[in-house]
Amino acid sequence: MRTVLPRAHGARSWGVLALGLLVLAGGLYANGTSLVDQLVDHWLTVVVFVAAITIGELFRLRMPSGREAAPLASASALGVVFLGLVYGEPTFDVAAGPVVLVVATGLLLAALVRGARGATVWLDQVSARLVGVAVAAWLTRAFAPDGVSLWDLGVGGSVSPWVVAIGMVAVAGVGIGVELVLSAALRSERQHTPWLAALRDEFGEVTPLTAAVVVSGPMVALMAPVLGLLSLPVALFPLAITYVAVGRYAQNRLTYRQTIATLSHLTEHGGYTSTGHAERVADLSVRIGRVLGISHRDLRDIEYAALLHDLGQIALIEPIPGGSTVLAAPSDQRDIADEGARIIRHAKGLEVVADYVEAQTIPYRQVRELGEEVPVASRIIKVANAFDDLTGGSDDPVQVRAANERIHLGLGYQYDPEVVEAAAVATSDTAVGRVGEAEPVAR
Amino acid sequence: MTAEASRAERRALRRVANATNIYIGIVAALGVLLTAAAIRLDGLVLNATFGVLLLLTVLAWWLGSVSLVGSRVTLSFTGIVILAAVALVGPAGAGIIGMVSGPFQAVGVRLRTRVFNSGMFALMGVAGGAAYIGAGGVLGETTLMGSWQIIRLIGLPLVMADVVQFAVNLVLLTVVVRLASGFSMREQVWRILTSAGPAHLGYGVIAFIMVVLWGSAGLGWASIFLILPPLLVAQWAYGQYSEELKGHERALDVLVAAVEAKAPHLVGHSGRVAELSASMAQHLGLRAQLIADVRVAGMLHDLGLTTLPTGLVRNTGVIGDRGLQSYPARGVQLLRGLNFLSGALDAIGHHREALSPTTRPDQLSVPALLVGLADEYDLLTEVGTPDGARVEREAALQLLKGSPAGREDLLSALENALARRAGAASP
Repeated sequence: MRTVLPRAHGARSWGVLALGLLVLAGGLYANGTSLVDQLVDHWLTVVVFVAAITIGELFRLRMPSGREAAPLASASALGVVFLGLVYGEPTFDVAAGPVVLVVATGLLLAALVRGARGATVWLDQVSARLVGVAVAAWLTRAFAPDGVSLWDLGVGGSVSPWVVAIGMVAVAGVGIGVELVLSAALRSERQHTPWLAALRDEFGEVTPLTAAVVVSGPMVALMAPVLGLLSLPVALFPLAITYVAVGRYAQNRLTYRQTIATLSHLTEHGGYTSTGHAERVADLSVRIGRVLGISHRDLRDIEYAALLHDLGQIALIEPIPGGSTVLAAPSDQRDIADEGARIIRHAKGLEVVADYVEAQTIPYRQVRELGEEVPVASRIIKVANAFDDLTGGSDDPVQVRAANERIHLGLGYQYDPEVVEAAAVATSDTAVGRVGEAEPVAR
Repeated sequence: MTAEASRAERRALRRVANATNIYIGIVAALGVLLTAAAIRLDGLVLNATFGVLLLLTVLAWWLGSVSLVGSRVTLSFTGIVILAAVALVGPAGAGIIGMVSGPFQAVGVRLRTRVFNSGMFALMGVAGGAAYIGAGGVLGETTLMGSWQIIRLIGLPLVMADVVQFAVNLVLLTVVVRLASGFSMREQVWRILTSAGPAHLGYGVIAFIMVVLWGSAGLGWASIFLILPPLLVAQWAYGQYSEELKGHERALDVLVAAVEAKAPHLVGHSGRVAELSASMAQHLGLRAQLIADVRVAGMLHDLGLTTLPTGLVRNTGVIGDRGLQSYPARGVQLLRGLNFLSGALDAIGHHREALSPTTRPDQLSVPALLVGLADEYDLLTEVGTPDGARVEREAALQLLKGSPAGREDLLSALENALARRAGAASP
């Protein structure tokens, strides 16, 4: 059994963690002694929702970008936020505080289980989630402009149910929005990437999934008056289907990437390039791209182009010594890039990738002086390729420094200064620009 | 002989088209008749709910033309609307809604497909409605309370209706595909069960939620907006399946292009070998999965060449040259990690052995023999030796007779495939 300590590093991380603790303390304080009575009154409801949140947290979805989500837990948490009348159970008439405590219990239980299983638990991320739920709970149960809260409207029946539904969806949207904004802030701090880019990825990737979470919570509360607690599994079912579907989507992306990687092996097996060169260039290119704030979608094309940047070499009569194009004559470099792009263009849908491969040899000088348009992807691949050719894939600090110095000599002439700067950040720390909750592994 | 064959084939094609049209006519007529019967027997209530559902079918068409990510993802809202209609407006209403929604399926579909869909959806509506009532379902916007009551009077009857609708869908579709393209029934049933089965289960629960929200929870038509987002995700992700297949094809195109860049004299060779060997596999009656594997193996059989020195590949004929012998094994080495190609590896790795006189024929799998045969035939007749010498068809067939791949049944499959290719090429 391996329990991993919570991690928190940097100001944002501590800030979000503190916010979470504050919310938790608020929930406890506001209730004081009545908490026990309420728990006894609603014990079945509380147990069911804590269990749903815990289980939902344990079944996580891994997005193609490496971001993790737990839609079932988010939707269950929103469900308890809006819950009012429940057929066969007492009306869930508690304040925002106990609601936060129910959600926090579920989240912490799941964190404990995950920690015991050896997963890394980011407590700041858990905290971001709790803050989002707390905002929604406060808006629903405490915020009452005319002395009537959204929750009162839902239970009282004085307005049409669809008005209540719209209010719930709006509040759920705000809650999820807060969570996404906070977790984007955390991610961007951890990966040294621009915050706006992280935010765009949080909202942009699988937008339908986020929308589905936003409506599922209200759905639980709206069906509970007639279906009772059964409304929780019923309302979550459509969301559960999406697990299978999104999992398949991620799997497809993986298979496609493997196929592209196979193409990069053609030159390696033929002895044209050194083993692992293409993979390393792709890894570094993607990390540089993240530091520069490039969107998730464009990063994929950059990754493919980087994997295939040497493909043109397979048609060479004589291999380049060591396969390192950075030392080859400029005209040879261009021929290789053109040939590679020509091969890639045979596949529909990879035109952009071919363009990136084609433009990778153009010196930055031509961008600056002649105004030639070179995609930033190509400029990134140019730098990443040079770096890997010069270090030979080693992460020995002496070689890394030598390579960075050598690249600096070509600054402004060969290489885009902005990209070189981002590359320096990325090569100085292996955690930079890496996605995924896993530990950064030594290369 | 070829012209004769193609004439016979065209006659056969016309017969198939006639049978399909008659079948579609029957389905459409049955749809109209049964809906009319349901209106007579059960009556049709023209209320607001019916109006909104009818509107939804048109909306489903509009949503269907919205693509989310990429282009393949279209939203098929219709299945849920027809199922929900069963509980909300009864068999007659569901039949009419099905009939109306048929023509509004995805854009760019042929007229007879629209007619068929119209009939099929009408039948699904009426049959589902009958099953719902038969199972004791309560119609209309009810105000039922309590989980057990709702499950007994709405949930279980909806499950029955869902199963019946899926069965109708399965049977009608299988028959039309069988008539139009001659695929085997069993394969077709299996394909629909695995691809649409899970979706139907999902449609059932979603329709249940829609009915409960619509009636008991008092939301009315606003329930649609709550139902829509989860549906969008499911539909979006199911669409990923076809994206995956397309992605594989694209990646294969790049691999072939790499072979052709390495060996310009082989341009077009991989594609021809793929078609020829797949066509032979079809003639021999292999399973659909095996046919697909044979096609991919034919496509990629030369991939190993890309890892050999360019000079060697370009200046020596592939046929029997010692320097190139390692290429099939190299190809397998390259592709080993790709799961979706695992079925094709054997044929890629052993296709040259199919031509060596020292190989015993029972040592090799049929796919390996087919790819080897197609490869050698194409090399002899189309690619030729480095100095451009090619062999005529009859002479090539004679040459192939001596090898393990030159078995009588395989050669006749090759001749059949060649005749089919010639038939397809002539107008």
